[in-house]
Amino acid sequence: MRDFRQVAIVGAGKTAFGAFDGKDLRTLAVEAGRKALANANAAPEAIESFYLGNFAGPEFTGQNHLAPYISTALGMAGIPSTRYEAACASSGAAFFQAFFAVASGVYDVVMVAGVEKMTCQPTPRVTEILAGAGDCATEVNAGSTFPSLFAMIARRHMHDFGTKREHLAAVAVKNHSNGALNPDAQMRKTITLEQAMNGRPIAEPLTLYDCSLISDGAAAVVLCAADRAREFGAKPVKVLGVAQASDFVALDRKPDITTFPALRAAARKAYAMAGVGPKDIQFAELHDCFTIAEIVAMEDLGFIERGRGGFFSFEGGTRRDGPMPINASGGLKSKGHPVGATGAAQICDVVQQLRAEAGDRQLARHSLGLAQNLGGSGATCVVTILGVD
Amino acid sequence: MRRGTVYTETVVYLAPERFAADVPYQVAIVALDGGDKLTVRIEGERVSIDDRVAEAESRDGVAYFRKTT
Repeated sequence: MRDFRQVAIVGAGKTAFGAFDGKDLRTLAVEAGRKALANANAAPEAIESFYLGNFAGPEFTGQNHLAPYISTALGMAGIPSTRYEAACASSGAAFFQAFFAVASGVYDVVMVAGVEKMTCQPTPRVTEILAGAGDCATEVNAGSTFPSLFAMIARRHMHDFGTKREHLAAVAVKNHSNGALNPDAQMRKTITLEQAMNGRPIAEPLTLYDCSLISDGAAAVVLCAADRAREFGAKPVKVLGVAQASDFVALDRKPDITTFPALRAAARKAYAMAGVGPKDIQFAELHDCFTIAEIVAMEDLGFIERGRGGFFSFEGGTRRDGPMPINASGGLKSKGHPVGATGAAQICDVVQQLRAEAGDRQLARHSLGLAQNLGGSGATCVVTILGVD
Repeated sequence: MRRGTVYTETVVYLAPERFAADVPYQVAIVALDGGDKLTVRIEGERVSIDDRVAEAESRDGVAYFRKTT
């Protein structure tokens, strides 16, 4: 790592996730942005640049040119405001850009926000819009949907490693049990293994309970140069490492679909930047857009050896009281997945744990956490490592 | 005629509007003899990983494969 400045998160704010008829895209983003500013005890005038993560606002809502549309409503007229699109990793990608703008010394104080408004469209149309994150000319044209791409990953993972249907279900059961304790989660109910196994089929072997939710929501963080962190109100959290990597958009271009090479590459760089390894990480928020994605991610991050993620989950290894708590927030499965907001929201959830503000979900060990945000079937991945002294 | 082996597969129950009439339908990634992989629709009998398949037809840029013995 070159000689960059240290960067801290000094403000974090999220909306609840859910289906909100009365709140449009901008209303959600502004609510999260104001919460992040209030949390940092910062005025809008303090923000020097605005980075928005959003996947498909124009397709879902008709509105384009979203970054200035939102930053001006937050009272930040005049500053550079740009939208970043990287499918479900959009606000992870926005965070990556914002980090380097501060680390390199260009700006001292910036805001990252993520937002998606999805429930204004019927489910078949949502499925079609999300499929746009795949290769439209090939896999999507052949009838692939996002659940089906991850279903094919699950089938191959089961074939190669002996991962079982109940292993996938155990991920959903665990995430629902965490989300039930999260006041901001969309689906605050526990489910049984039997329910998860016998849900309505979406794309075999995945049922409704293997799939994340269709959600509205927003999240935002304020980043600043670490040497100015004391000017702000909330306990600063250090950004120790952040890395982004890419891969083919089409799943059929990958030699082995049971691993995400972009995730492995981003993890390797983020660990090196932070000077830590997988065994040092105390807890993580992983991108469980589908249950199998959480299993593959924990393997690619090195939390567990390849092929053992399903077994580890089934044995309780990733519960809040397990050796590697994953998605104590409830994850995308229970908390909700407003896709463009998810990367920023994961960072907010890690910040909450690091500050010991997670209430009933608070983990015992909370000084070093990791967030992993995935776009498409693995074509973009952002890994962020955060810590407190 | 292209031939290959099923690398992975799924049966889709929730589809966008344009494929809604086909539900449930099977999609597979086929490892073609010769090395490339291709995402295809499966016609006829359902297939599993390692099954041998061959191209039956091509419509609207989509290859439809069938199980062979």
